[in-house]
Amino acid sequence: MVSDTKYLRNIGISAHIDSGKTTLTERILFYTKRIFAVHEVRGKDGIGAKMDSMELEKERGITISSAATYCQWKEHNINIIDTPGHVDFTIEVERALRVLDGSILVLCAVGGVQSQSITVDRQMNRNHIPRMAFINKCDRAGSDPYRVVDQLRKRLNHNAILMQTPIGLEGNFSGVIDLISMKAFYFEEPFGEDIKIESIPPSLVNEAMEKREELLDAAAMFSDELTEAILEDRVTEDLIHEAIRKGTIARELTPVFIGSAYKNIGVQPLLDGIIHYMPSPIDVENTAFDIDQEEKIISLTSESNAPLVALAFKLEISPYGQLTYLRIYQGSIEKGDTIMNTRNKNKIKVGRLAKMHADEMEEISKASAGDIVALFGVDCFSGDTFTDGSLNYALKSMVIPEPVISLKISTKDNKSNNNVAKALNRFVREDPTFTSRVDEESGQTIISGMGELHLEIYVERMKREFGAQVETGIPQVAYRETISGKAEFNYVHKKQTGGAGQYGKVAGFMEPLEEGHYEFINQIKGGVIPTEYVPAVDKGFQSCLKKGILIGFPVLGIKITVNDGQYHPVDSSEKAFSQAAIGAFKQAYFKAKPIILEPIMKISIECPSEFQGSVMSSINQRRGTIISSAEDGIFTAVEAEVPLAEMFGYATVLRSLTQGKAEFTMEFTKYLKVPKSLEDELIAKHKKV
Amino acid sequence: MEKYLNISPLKILEKSNHKELGKGNLGVVISRAGVGKTSCLIHVALDRLFRKGKVIHVSLKDTPEKVISYYNFIYVDVFNYLDLENEQEAKDFLDKNKIILAYLKESFGIDKLSENLKNLAENISFTPDTVIIDGFDFEGSGRNIFEKFKEMANEFQVEIWFSALSHRHINKVNERGIPFPCSDLDDLFKLIIQLQPTQEGLFLKLLKDNNIKISPDFIVKLNPDNFFAVE
Repeated sequence: MVSDTKYLRNIGISAHIDSGKTTLTERILFYTKRIFAVHEVRGKDGIGAKMDSMELEKERGITISSAATYCQWKEHNINIIDTPGHVDFTIEVERALRVLDGSILVLCAVGGVQSQSITVDRQMNRNHIPRMAFINKCDRAGSDPYRVVDQLRKRLNHNAILMQTPIGLEGNFSGVIDLISMKAFYFEEPFGEDIKIESIPPSLVNEAMEKREELLDAAAMFSDELTEAILEDRVTEDLIHEAIRKGTIARELTPVFIGSAYKNIGVQPLLDGIIHYMPSPIDVENTAFDIDQEEKIISLTSESNAPLVALAFKLEISPYGQLTYLRIYQGSIEKGDTIMNTRNKNKIKVGRLAKMHADEMEEISKASAGDIVALFGVDCFSGDTFTDGSLNYALKSMVIPEPVISLKISTKDNKSNNNVAKALNRFVREDPTFTSRVDEESGQTIISGMGELHLEIYVERMKREFGAQVETGIPQVAYRETISGKAEFNYVHKKQTGGAGQYGKVAGFMEPLEEGHYEFINQIKGGVIPTEYVPAVDKGFQSCLKKGILIGFPVLGIKITVNDGQYHPVDSSEKAFSQAAIGAFKQAYFKAKPIILEPIMKISIECPSEFQGSVMSSINQRRGTIISSAEDGIFTAVEAEVPLAEMFGYATVLRSLTQGKAEFTMEFTKYLKVPKSLEDELIAKHKKV
Repeated sequence: MEKYLNISPLKILEKSNHKELGKGNLGVVISRAGVGKTSCLIHVALDRLFRKGKVIHVSLKDTPEKVISYYNFIYVDVFNYLDLENEQEAKDFLDKNKIILAYLKESFGIDKLSENLKNLAENISFTPDTVIIDGFDFEGSGRNIFEKFKEMANEFQVEIWFSALSHRHINKVNERGIPFPCSDLDDLFKLIIQLQPTQEGLFLKLLKDNNIKISPDFIVKLNPDNFFAVE
């Protein structure tokens, strides 16, 4: 293992589904001798690519969990996180980006810059990740890497520059011309391990010269030395590499490589590009919040002898037990060390420490700043920060989108019930965008996540990995009730059925409460209700709030003042006064003009500007209010407020409206009164039930 | 909510000929940097909103979040003054009738705004009465641009209010008393107002009211904390 941090690269591979990134990763592992045979995502040999370790992923041919792996290439250690390509799993991409120093955007030479490429690229921008691009599938019919470079420039605003030109295309794609060495690279059959380096075919010289000029012009913007060298005609390869590296790390230049991972063409030059142009951990500034100093921002050093600061960015169940993937930002970890989780101050002894290679592992004894490693059996959540105990730091929390959809799930038998509980416990730890809770009223389990497919995958996993027989219901909105007027109550609870009776009288009024859920005001004078019974009155009222009388949803925004009452020296009791309060509530509630509130979500939609009109229209159709729209030349960000009830299925609608080029997030903002027609509908539905 | 009109800086127009800018017309608030053009324009928007009109606020320098925070800041004082029973209801009413459009990274163009106004009308039936354009570069724009804005105001039947930045070191004032950067464009604007900080306080001064002769008392003192008109 290479120990010097400057020879370390933490790289993500992100792209649209089916652009071939898993195959690319597989080839990288093959050429770096981490694996000794190649398989495909949808492998005919039934083995499947190395990075897709979950059975479901293998079956669907998509990558769901981002498996981490590492390899070595020319004295450099490269940690790779393979990231999913489907929009419903963007949290996986977000988490991967949080811990990476650079990323490769894999694009299909036929499909070009597709919707998910736009989404992923925007996520990379948000995380300030330097990028390289790999235009894959140049062997496919209709491939056109030049068109894709143009799309990178126009659609993604990248200063994209070709590092290579193709030798042939589609069925004739046989190699690449390296524009720095000005040599032709051919990748020998059967697996392209041996590279034959030859002179550029005469028919391609002019094109190569032209593209090299473009490359030099772009690179020279980042190096005065290169500019001078160009003028004096003494350009060296090192000067070009240095300038491109500078531009790439500054995120002002995107080197573009081409190839076909499937046909074993162009992968090794890409690896060279990674070590030449992607930053090492010491090239990136990382910060943490010092919890003891009111979250003052502290710069971290990538020195391995500094106190440890590390982030648990992924939890995963593996054949070896629970794995916690850790990115070390500062200091080092050794087997036997004691580390502290700064969220709960729990101290943990580091048992086994490993480098993961998809679902295989390699035990190591020590890891240092910049490394991505796995710990075993650590009880923590994704996003927790670990230190050596001498620091109380928290690393910047990751951008975690709010779940947008909920589903009731039910099980067929007791065994399934237990298995679902185990599964949910695991999923919520693995994925912060997935939540589960038990509905107090119905006793049913409700799961929430980022989209229909997101939840579908988890339901499938419950069935397959945990053997649970699960059925799902339909999405449910969390309505609330409140009152809009003031109403008085004067209620006597009296019961005499042999033995000790029950007696309690409460009088007062209820009125809307502008801020907060509930307030109880005791204005009883002269001991008409003895002090010891007052809490029971309060409790009685509170019990009514759990389930409103109008449609059976919780009541909020209510202030109750009790100013009179009566007790009986023998028959009064806590129970009697509690019942009196319940009676009083029922007596006054309808007089106080109850109304139904619905959750209003703040929606942020980012889309290419040409879809602004249809996006706004879709919001309008959903009873939404447009708050703002911001354009930046290519994209428009629309902010709106929309009732949650109108948002189910919106991800699918938005995808079809914008050819999948938009993404949206939403979060709860407030409760608002439902329109009269919906109110009538909900009341009628409740009465029917 | 009509009570707001008592403290609206646009009270200054009570002294003007038409009492308002009016559809198809351009108006501008001129002041030096940092005096409060944006706050003043927000009050122009509120004046329209409280008259049950619809507003589009176009920002060419600030993100929507920042513009929203300006509005929220001014809402606090306005709601306090109005002593409203249900502030949330008032805020929802104002928000429903106002849309912020931000054009960042020099992405603004008249055609684009025109297209967006059409979009809003066609897709969500939002037809503004007033368009506020904050941060437009008067110095870097030719006369033809403002002629296009005038055409747009006519086409969409809106009034358009601008903010214009004047400079301490440029004292150019035309023969009609209109300062730079509007001195060569004043014929295109129906109303021109200047926000003037003086030792006596902050004043809003009407410099042009169509072609009516301006009287020196066409002036309103503003509370510098909240830009409320002071009697």
